[in-house]
This record gives sequence, structure tokens and C-alpha cells, in this order.
Amino acid sequence: MNSFVEIVHIFTLTIMIIAALLAVIFKKLLPSVIALSVASLLLSLEFYLLHAPDVAIAEAAIGAGLTMAIFIFAIRGTR
Amino acid sequence: MKQMSKIVRTITNLVYGFIIIFGFYVIVHGHLTPGGGFQGGAIVASAFALLLVSYGSLITKKFLKKDFLSIMESSGLTMFIVLAFLGLGITFFYNFLANIGGWFGNTPVIGPNPGDINTGGVIPLMNIAVGLEVLSALGVIVLLMASGAEFTKKKENS
Amino acid sequence: MKKIIFGIAFILFFSFMVITAINMRPFGEPTFSEMDDYFIKNAQVETGANNVVTSIVFDYRGFDTLGEATVLFTAVVGIVALFRRVSR
Repeated sequence: MNSFVEIVHIFTLTIMIIAALLAVIFKKLLPSVIALSVASLLLSLEFYLLHAPDVAIAEAAIGAGLTMAIFIFAIRGTR
Repeated sequence: MKQMSKIVRTITNLVYGFIIIFGFYVIVHGHLTPGGGFQGGAIVASAFALLLVSYGSLITKKFLKKDFLSIMESSGLTMFIVLAFLGLGITFFYNFLANIGGWFGNTPVIGPNPGDINTGGVIPLMNIAVGLEVLSALGVIVLLMASGAEFTKKKENS
Repeated sequence: MKKIIFGIAFILFFSFMVITAINMRPFGEPTFSEMDDYFIKNAQVETGANNVVTSIVFDYRGFDTLGEATVLFTAVVGIVALFRRVSR
């Protein structure tokens, strides 16, 4: 495998783990939801790097778009 | 739920039509390029979610009716099942339109090629059916969640 | 006492997972590949679609897509029944 692709894999997975940890650690709700969105978007990039563009499109549309919209509605409704 | 600022509304006015058209492109070209009914429907529903976030649910409800989306969802699922039953002369889900000419029946060139949209048999029709179903299902979910949050907030304030 | 039991269970489960991950096949070489070879060779001829993934999802494995659509329909029915006072 190409070494550049391996470096991108390692970089993506590291930032994804950091974002997932931040989503648990943050005390405020809105930064936590944004960190979860970053983790989902990087998961979509990882699917694309593993040659699965179908799953990448579905993950980017549902995981990073619709779920975040529903979370933001819930946060606005309870505030 | 209040509207967001003017910058967000202007960007939404510029962008949401292109997102909807890209979603329908992904649905219709499902048998040639990556994607298909589910992915394209999710993209169109994310455009609806963008409208709901930036404009609030009271204004969006005027041109995104719940009943219309609900009827479209049921008709999409019915169309999918009817297409599956039409191949029942041989088996369930038989591709009875492929390679016979006519509608979606051209024989494709074997091997890697850019593709012809008039191929694929039943698959493009099923893509359109599932795309309509997923589009309106996710749209109904986002619309009802937004108006539910609005309803709870109004009830707490009064 | 509870912490010791949890620790032993965690160590057992984690070592089980690690042993399974070590003994797995190498990445990118599936164990049973006859069905994959059949799909890759014959999907374009039989269904006429260039995208093999779509031809598997909508033609060979159509029952999966039917179940998925039914699950989505059931979820929407549940949400509409939950928010029926709001939507009018």
C-alpha cells in the first residue's frame, strides 16, 4: 500500500478518537454535539479511503447532517 | 423557534436548490455511479433539515406539507412492492426488463465504460421508488421533530 | 468485591477479543470467495447495470432492501403517531 495513504489513515483515525473523547468530556451540550459531528464526518472520510463510496455518502448525509439537526432541535427545545 | 441571522438565511437561499438537484442526480444515476436510492434520499432530506434549521419550523411548514410527504412515502413503498411483484412470472424480484430493448433495456458494453442511462432493467425504477420513500420518510421525521420542539417550548412559556 | 468481578470479566472479554483479532484472516482476502467471483463476473451481463453494488442491492438481494424500506416506514408511522397532537 502507498505510504501516503497509510499516513492519511493514521491521521484520520487519531483525530476521530480525539473527537470522540471530546464529545464525552465537554460539559456544554452544543460543543459536544459538534465534536460528535466531526467524528462522524471523519468516519465518512475513512470509509471513502477504504473504497466504499456508497457507505461514505450515506454516513455523511445521515450521521453528519440529519442526526446533528435533530440534536440541535432537541437542545433548542429544552433551553 | 426563531429564525437564524441574515447571513445564514442568504447562504441557505443560495445553496438548498443545488443540494436538492444533486440528491435527485444521485437517485437517477444510481445504476451508473456510486450511490442509489437511499443515499440520494438522505441528501435531499438533509437539504430539508438545512431549511428547518435556518428558517424555523413555522415558515417552513407553509411549503413543506406533512400530508403531501406522507402520501409520497406510501406511494413509493407501494411502487417498490409492485415492481417486485411484476417479476413473479419467474421469481420474486426478477429483473424482467433487462437486455430486451425498449425502456431501460439496452445491453451495456461489457467491461469498464462510462455507461448508458438507458440500461439496467428494473433497477433505475426501483431506485426512484426507494428514493422517493427515503426522501419523504426522513423529511417527515425532521419536520415533526422540529415542530415538536417548538410545541414543547411554547407550552412551557405559557 | 464488585470491582474485582468486573475486572476479571473485563480481562477475560478483552483477551478473548484480542485472540480473535489475531487469528483472523489477513485484510482483503475473504475466506469464501466463490459468490463474490460470480457477482463480479456475471452481474453486468445479467442485470445490465454498470454499478455492481446497486445490482446486488436491488436485484440479487432485493429482500434486504424491502426489509429496510419496511423498517423505515414503521419508524415513520411510530413518529407520526407520537407527534399527532403537534402536527395539526
